[in-house]
Amino acid sequence: MHGRRVFLSAALVGLTAKGGRRVEGSFLDDGLPTGHRLTDRGRSGRPITRVPVVIVGAGVAGLCAAWRLRKRGFRDFVVLEMHAEAGGNSRSAENEVSGYPLAAHYVPVPNRESTLVRELFDEFGVMRDGKVDERYLCFAPQERLFLHGRWQEGLEPEIAVSARDREQYRRFDDRIREFRATRQFTIPIDAGARASELDRLTMAAWLDREKFDSPYLRWYVDYACRDDYGARAWDASAWAGIHYFAGREHEDKGPVTWPEGNGWLVRELMKRVGEHVRTGATVHAISPNGSRLRVLAGNADYEAELVIFAAPTFLAPHIVEGAPSAHDFVYSPWVTANLTLDRPPRERGSEPAWDNVVYDSPSLGYVVATHMTLRTRVDRTVWTWYQALADGDPAQNRRMMLGADWRHFAEYILRDLERAHPDIRECVSRIDVLRIGHAMARPIPGFLTSESRRRWASLSGRVLYANSDLSGLSIFEEAQHRGVRAADRALAILGRA
Amino acid sequence: MPVVLFISVFLIAACGLIYELIAGTLASYLLGDSVLQFSTVIGSYLFAMGVGSYLSRYIRTGLVTQFVYIELMVGVVGGFSSSALFLAFAYTQGFRLLLYVVVIAVGILVGLEIPLLMRILQSRLEFSELVAHVLTFDYLGALGASLLFPIILVPKLGMVRSAILFGIVNAGVALWSTWIFKDQLRGRTLLRGGCAAVLVLLGAGMAFADYISSAADNSLYADEVIFARNTRYQRIVLTRWKDDLRLFLSSHLQFSSRDEYRYHEALVHPGLAALPGARRVLVLGGGDGLALREILKYLTVESITLVDLDPEMTQLFKTHPLLSRLNGGSFSAPRVHVINWDAFAWLDTNQEFFDFVVVDFPDPTNYSLGKLYTTAFYRLLAKHLSRSGTFVVQSTSPLFARQSYWCIANTIEAAGLKTFPYHVYVPSFGEWGFVLAGRDAYDPPRQLPSALRFLTVANVPELFHFPADMQRIPAEANRLNDQVLVRYYEREWKEIAR
Ligand SMILES: Cc1cc2nc3c(=O)[nH]c(=O)nc-3n(C[C@H](O)[C@H](O)[C@H](O)COP(=O)(O)OP(=O)(O)OC[C@H]3O[C@@H](n4cnc5c(N)ncnc54)[C@H](O)[C@@H]3O)c2cc1C
Repeated sequence: MHGRRVFLSAALVGLTAKGGRRVEGSFLDDGLPTGHRLTDRGRSGRPITRVPVVIVGAGVAGLCAAWRLRKRGFRDFVVLEMHAEAGGNSRSAENEVSGYPLAAHYVPVPNRESTLVRELFDEFGVMRDGKVDERYLCFAPQERLFLHGRWQEGLEPEIAVSARDREQYRRFDDRIREFRATRQFTIPIDAGARASELDRLTMAAWLDREKFDSPYLRWYVDYACRDDYGARAWDASAWAGIHYFAGREHEDKGPVTWPEGNGWLVRELMKRVGEHVRTGATVHAISPNGSRLRVLAGNADYEAELVIFAAPTFLAPHIVEGAPSAHDFVYSPWVTANLTLDRPPRERGSEPAWDNVVYDSPSLGYVVATHMTLRTRVDRTVWTWYQALADGDPAQNRRMMLGADWRHFAEYILRDLERAHPDIRECVSRIDVLRIGHAMARPIPGFLTSESRRRWASLSGRVLYANSDLSGLSIFEEAQHRGVRAADRALAILGRA
Repeated sequence: MPVVLFISVFLIAACGLIYELIAGTLASYLLGDSVLQFSTVIGSYLFAMGVGSYLSRYIRTGLVTQFVYIELMVGVVGGFSSSALFLAFAYTQGFRLLLYVVVIAVGILVGLEIPLLMRILQSRLEFSELVAHVLTFDYLGALGASLLFPIILVPKLGMVRSAILFGIVNAGVALWSTWIFKDQLRGRTLLRGGCAAVLVLLGAGMAFADYISSAADNSLYADEVIFARNTRYQRIVLTRWKDDLRLFLSSHLQFSSRDEYRYHEALVHPGLAALPGARRVLVLGGGDGLALREILKYLTVESITLVDLDPEMTQLFKTHPLLSRLNGGSFSAPRVHVINWDAFAWLDTNQEFFDFVVVDFPDPTNYSLGKLYTTAFYRLLAKHLSRSGTFVVQSTSPLFARQSYWCIANTIEAAGLKTFPYHVYVPSFGEWGFVLAGRDAYDPPRQLPSALRFLTVANVPELFHFPADMQRIPAEANRLNDQVLVRYYEREWKEIAR
């Protein structure tokens, strides 16, 4: 609620009031209008392309399905993507300053059980002999937090933290270590997850139950839920909240990142499967046609034996004839923004980190695209700023997000950053805003054992669902895992395994 | 009448507090550890005030005259306190001593003021009234000063001017008193003359405050500054004292012309002279051209590439007569090619091979510079070495920053190279360390270029011996994602600075 109120009040203030500098910018193409045109039906009488497999959506899940098919020697497929560029939530862009992520910006150092990520990283030269190449491991300093008027290294609050808070940090770490030892909190979750009573609680309820009442610890946990799930600690499943911490081993300082974020991985994937990808092709209907499937896309029609549906699952009931309802999937809306800075803001006794977070802000802070440069000195840079609209009703938030104009967002973002960077208005020359209505599925309590999720993810029938939202946790590893599994299943059905 | 008097009380109280705040602030600016500095300054000041109050009993006669003298003395001592302290910090070893002398002197004088004033006013007011009013205005003055100081004085006027301004206030109160108390005063003209002289003196101080601040701002540079420029990348400052030229980059001493030959001979020759076949040499950093001067002594070297970030730096050392004399005009040698680029990024985009590389970067004082001392950097550098090529790295001091030094050696080893650490004594730096690295074993040179001032064939092997207090200690390798070196370095130099 608080977040939204702040959000709305920003509209009342002019954008160039202080600093006198004009900021340019616009909304990025976020596919929001196209989403609503899905119900248009294709005209009949167009030529039909026959192809054994159609992949819908060139996000990470769709591209990894394609990557797997190619690696298994299968080439008879197309990937249909509604946007002009592939990548989905892992898209990136580039200006004269740097490449930068629009949304997804890192992958944690893969655990041992994340074999697919390791395979992909080996192939792309990110890992060698089981170790991540140091150029792709986030450079120091990785993270900093603006707390009580100054920056500290690391995100776990330290300034003015009492012995009592520290004791709770320690106890929390111990609990997480115990959970990790159960080997149930794996990436991908399919490798270890078992039905758990933790999935019937919210993360906040679990913290209460365990008597964690340190405000700093609770802020940190809530931050984690907003960061990974776009949800508040009192909305996310405790199992998911714990997974954020217990699912990662913290041996190697990470994460793995690139100036353009996960867009780097998309580009590498596109090098391998780009020839199969048709962009600007919105799929609006998939229906059985005898033993085959008719796929109607914006500019062409296809007839396929199998469809791998890697677009967000909530769209399926609108597109796939006979698909069940997906009403129990909750999606968080997100806003991200790319800020071009002509000079970095002045620092007092701190160096900019890759990930920069302001304590008690409704936003999640910003990442610096030029952080991963080998240069010792950068003047201009690009920041990607994040906020999950996690408070209140997602549908209402989406409406609000679409209703506000660009100046409103820009002012809101500058005000958010001004707390930590008083001179930010003198630095920023451009703000491009991306509104993502259904950015990621929310792991609400019950998601793990949800019958409907299980059904969607079962890979039965001729439409195989593969979007990362079926994992409940929207992360690169899950998207890849879903895509690869769907590809394997497709090959098995086609007798090509 | 009394109101006028209480304004005096208010003003002198404000002055007193301002001097105390200035001393405390300067001490914490210049010495660090503000809690300690403020506590000791305030403590000594209050104590000295007590001493002053006690001493007031020995002043028996001519109270007003004495009061005027005291005001003038406070005005001069307090008014010039911050100038004197700044200059003492810049030019002498006696900053701390002067600090406490000033604090005690001002404290004693200020401690005399109020008792004297009360005694002067004794006859005019009832005792209870007197105490109540004088102390009220005393404390009000303190409040005013403590608000004025951080909000207006420090940001708008700076330390030097603020102190002088309040000196003028003291002198003004003195002058004014000669009118207020004229019936209790003899020899007024003389006193007024003294007041005028002090005011002129302080006024002159105000006019020259800029000179004082800039002389003091150059406190790091003990000598005359003959060149100073802020480039995009750093602040270049050149100082001279007699025949000694010193270069500071962003306040860090780079060389002194008196002994730089020791540094640069040691940087270049142990490595390069051991490679008689070397044809192509690379210098990373080293925009002063002094390493170039040494390399140019090898006639067999065909080409020298120098990559330095800052074009103004290389330009300065090419064109400035004093500096190009120092580097022997090395930037004008046809064998030398200058590239103004970020060294790490340049290596990353470039395919060339070199027989010998001199790595002469600023110390790893922050994470940006720290990148130039990582395993990733040395791995990349190794890819640019010819088969038997070597490189040498300036590696801070193995004595003052022992763990930092060995961290650099370990980092190079972690990048898969053999290391040959050595050190040399450079008077203006102290013990300084280098790490030579390559794929094969190292044999000290059998021959050196002629006319070296420091190195001889016989003493090169000695550089590789480390006495007990500089020997290897455990240190982790410095990596891009975990820059331990920056933390070691910060800790170690902080310990030295104490
Ligand atoms: C702001 C934000 C930050 C994130 N940060 C990270 C991060 O740092 N690390 C991380 O691992 N994950 C992050 N994620 C999660 C991210 O969603 C996943 O990593 C991953 O990119 C999801 O891939 P996907 O293929 O499952 O889904 P999507 O990326 O949603 O891909 C679906 C694709 O289908 C296309 N599509 C939709 N409808 C149609 C249609 N009708 N016809 C054709 N095509 C269609 C879409 O255009 C899109 O390209 C972030 C997400 C958001 C929103």
